[in-house]
Amino acid sequence: MDPEKSPKQPLSTRLIVGIILGATVIAAGSFTAGFVAAPVTPTPGSTSTEAGFSRDMQTHHIQAVEMSMILLDRTEDTELRMLAEDIATAQQQQAGQMYAWLSIWGVPQAAPEPSMTWMTRPTLDGANHDHGGEDGETSHVPGEPMPGLATAEQLQQLKSLAGVPAESYYLELMIAHHIGGVDMAQAVLDRSTNRAVTSLARGMVAVQQGEIAYMNELLAERA
Amino acid sequence: MAPSDTPEPVLPPSAKKLTVKQEREARRQAKVEQFRKQQARAKRNRIVAIVLSSVAALAVVALIVTVVISNATPKRDPADIDVAGVQTWDDLEYVHTDGPVDYEGQYGMNPPAGGSHNPAWLNCGIYTEEQQNESAVHALEHGAVWVTYNPDELDEADVDALRSQLPDSYIILSPYPDLDAPVVASAWAAQVKLDGVDDPRLGDFVEKYWQSPDVPEAGALCTRGIDGPGKVA
Repeated sequence: MDPEKSPKQPLSTRLIVGIILGATVIAAGSFTAGFVAAPVTPTPGSTSTEAGFSRDMQTHHIQAVEMSMILLDRTEDTELRMLAEDIATAQQQQAGQMYAWLSIWGVPQAAPEPSMTWMTRPTLDGANHDHGGEDGETSHVPGEPMPGLATAEQLQQLKSLAGVPAESYYLELMIAHHIGGVDMAQAVLDRSTNRAVTSLARGMVAVQQGEIAYMNELLAERA
Repeated sequence: MAPSDTPEPVLPPSAKKLTVKQEREARRQAKVEQFRKQQARAKRNRIVAIVLSSVAALAVVALIVTVVISNATPKRDPADIDVAGVQTWDDLEYVHTDGPVDYEGQYGMNPPAGGSHNPAWLNCGIYTEEQQNESAVHALEHGAVWVTYNPDELDEADVDALRSQLPDSYIILSPYPDLDAPVVASAWAAQVKLDGVDDPRLGDFVEKYWQSPDVPEAGALCTRGIDGPGKVA
């Protein structure tokens, strides 16, 4: 080997090392960038329609569970007991789903703004949720009781009754409660495209409307 | 490296009085020494290059593996499962009714897979006798899968084989006389007719529809309703 030529070898080796290192840096950079920028479905924020619905509907559902548990203590009627268990377990399960969404979305269970605020925001088609309101005024006022929610006095009244009067009163309260629940579920359907939320809300609308009809029949039988 | 970087070797002071022969020998040795150094440097550079490129290649492989694993942990969204031959329904009614429901006439279902139903749901479990449609449909509304089979086509071992593939809860397994397939799996608003107890579509159907979040009241009780006749588990 010619000693004068050998100095060239480290040069080309360095070149190769340089290319490899450069390629590595570029590859690592691209992979990191791709990993960071990979399409991640954005999750609803704390003041989103979805989060507002998930909090308010939990409150709403948990009262339906409470009313149903009260009735189970106040009647032996098989039909009404089964209805109460149906509503209680279905709504407790759904409340758990909404609780888990908030947890997964990384937003607090506690509301950062008054309840029902999300229902006063514009709908997907830009219109306001103003049915029932006067002169285009929204029928929902942030911080006011949710539609269909029973008052503390009404719950106390239910606890004081037994037998058919308890059944009738439960049905009255629950029919109003379901009508309000359908209203809230419809409000989120008008404002959200989140698949999990809209799927649950659609089920609520359908099931609760069916149950309203059934409860009206049961109520008429007790008149 | 440019040739100018390699000057004539400087001779040691002691070499000043050396003979021409000795000088030549010293110069030769100096050159040999220089050549050895160059060789050693080249060798070292080669090793550095090999080590660096190996580390780099390893880093790239590790990065790819990490990205692939973290992005593609075996995960199958039930919504993406395509059960061959499945039939689905939209806009079913949720009416509670004490009377009989004509599921075939009203929705084109036999056996039923959703629609109006009895206020009392059938308790989930294993049944050896035919069950009331209207109560079983209410159990579907609570997220159950109802597996029906033609009793003329399945023997006891087949039924056991079927049972072993199903979840322990939110399942109704019952015979359904005159069924037009050996086995039919039904959930709320979805149904698939199966060729037999080893039809792989049963697993896919259960994965997609059992306790599906699209079922209106998934997770509501499938106990404390009514026990139908012939309940064995």
